[in-house]
Amino acid sequence: MEANAPIPAGEGAQESYSGPMLSLENVCKRFGDLEVLRGVNFDVKRGEVVCVIGPSGSGKSTLLRCVNLLEPPEEGRILLEGKEITGKDAVEGIDFVRRRVGMVFQQFNLFPHMSALQNVCIAQEKVLDRKTAEAREKAQALLTRVGMADKVDQYPDRLSGGQQQRVAIARALAMDPHVMLFDEVTSALDPELVKEVLDVMRELAEEGMTMIVVTHEMGFAREVASRVVFMDQGRVVEEGTPAEVLGNPQQERTKRFLGLVLEH
Amino acid sequence: MDFIREYYFDFGIMGDNFDAILDGFWLTIKLWVISGVLSLLWGLLLAVLRQLPGKAVAPIRWLTIAYIDVFRGVPLLLVLFLVSGFLSAAQAEDVIPEAIGLPTWFGETSPFWYGVISLTLTYGAYMAEVYRAGIEAVPRGQTEAARSVGMSHGQAMRYIIVPQAVRKVIPPLLNDLIALMKDTSLVSVIGALEVVQAGFDVQTAEFNGSGLVLGALFFLAVTIPLARVVDWLISREQAKTQRGAGPGPGEGEGEAQPSGPPTTGMAGA
Repeated sequence: MEANAPIPAGEGAQESYSGPMLSLENVCKRFGDLEVLRGVNFDVKRGEVVCVIGPSGSGKSTLLRCVNLLEPPEEGRILLEGKEITGKDAVEGIDFVRRRVGMVFQQFNLFPHMSALQNVCIAQEKVLDRKTAEAREKAQALLTRVGMADKVDQYPDRLSGGQQQRVAIARALAMDPHVMLFDEVTSALDPELVKEVLDVMRELAEEGMTMIVVTHEMGFAREVASRVVFMDQGRVVEEGTPAEVLGNPQQERTKRFLGLVLEH
Repeated sequence: MDFIREYYFDFGIMGDNFDAILDGFWLTIKLWVISGVLSLLWGLLLAVLRQLPGKAVAPIRWLTIAYIDVFRGVPLLLVLFLVSGFLSAAQAEDVIPEAIGLPTWFGETSPFWYGVISLTLTYGAYMAEVYRAGIEAVPRGQTEAARSVGMSHGQAMRYIIVPQAVRKVIPPLLNDLIALMKDTSLVSVIGALEVVQAGFDVQTAEFNGSGLVLGALFFLAVTIPLARVVDWLISREQAKTQRGAGPGPGEGEGEAQPSGPPTTGMAGA
């Protein structure tokens, strides 16, 4: 992967604020009778990479969707750069959040009627009012950064899953996010395509991007995460450094899960 | 047998009345193209209004749904009578200015414009439903991706959802346009001399249906090629979908997100 063309790790605005980038306080979410999140608490500091692991249905994805307000939580508070973004006391709205928080999805969700370059340009032009030339230049640099320089004019259905996912990462980065959310971004990929996506994420982490990564890739969590959060049934069961949570789990539930995941 | 041939296929009568029938068909084409374009736009507007999010605009959604239900549910002929009757009466009573009550825009007659208005009101409702099916068939992940890069609902609709939806529903929209073309003949009852009326005038004068058969041929010359285009578009789309369904590259539609109902196909297109 070509170096250069720096990936913005969220510049400006944040220097003045030194508290946690993101704070979740007792976040609850239910769909009808189904309680998906039952009081989740944790902080993410600037530049931290937090990997969230846990069994299916534990609420990991919902947690990410709460953070960027795709699914606003019903109870609890979420603070982004110290400003409350949820509930009645929200001081900042959806625009504040979506311009600071980038998200990458399991199913890529590239816009199929646009080329890779247009996928990365469209929101820059329409949301950030960047000039076409400026947006293209930025898109070109980001696509180069994720190793897609020779595919800028391809449409998504001509790209492999791994390539689509890298374009999706570039699309999110084009908005200069301060925090990036990754929702099982390698789960829909063929095994041989996983590495190319994880490599991009690893570089991003090394550049100092604040990231929350929901993942089943334990190797990635072990090597890259500043902290690992294990969730089950809508709660945080255990959190700590990768060595603590993955190497020496304290909770029975964590041990059982890791036993099932790691033993083969 | 000879009588059947003479009644329907008297080429002498067709030749003598060719210009009159062609004039009628030209009016049919004008009615069709203008109503068609307006219906496509009006239908899209209705479909977008129906999808507006939020409680504040619920009344707009209800009104839109009510409108679509009403105009899909009553005969076009009835709409024609109500529109033409109301506009001419309101104009006669000075409720509305003559330019609107007895329109003669671009040199066309008032019945012509009553027809355009009625056809647009009715077919806009049909097409709104087609568009809606298309909008609902766009995977939910598309909206989420658009919103997650900061687009508003309106921007997501305009740049992401509607362009994809329209592509999906071009075949059913073309089917509606074929139906619309045939329904332009109803405008004859309020006095537009379109092709069916022109053929019927020949039949009345000559006791012979050849003029109407000539009109039918004109219709078929447009509708059959259009039907073939629809078939071609559908088969092309199917080939694409089947290719996309295999392993390897393909647009991820996959798993429904926990919140949303799974996207349905193009129901009732």
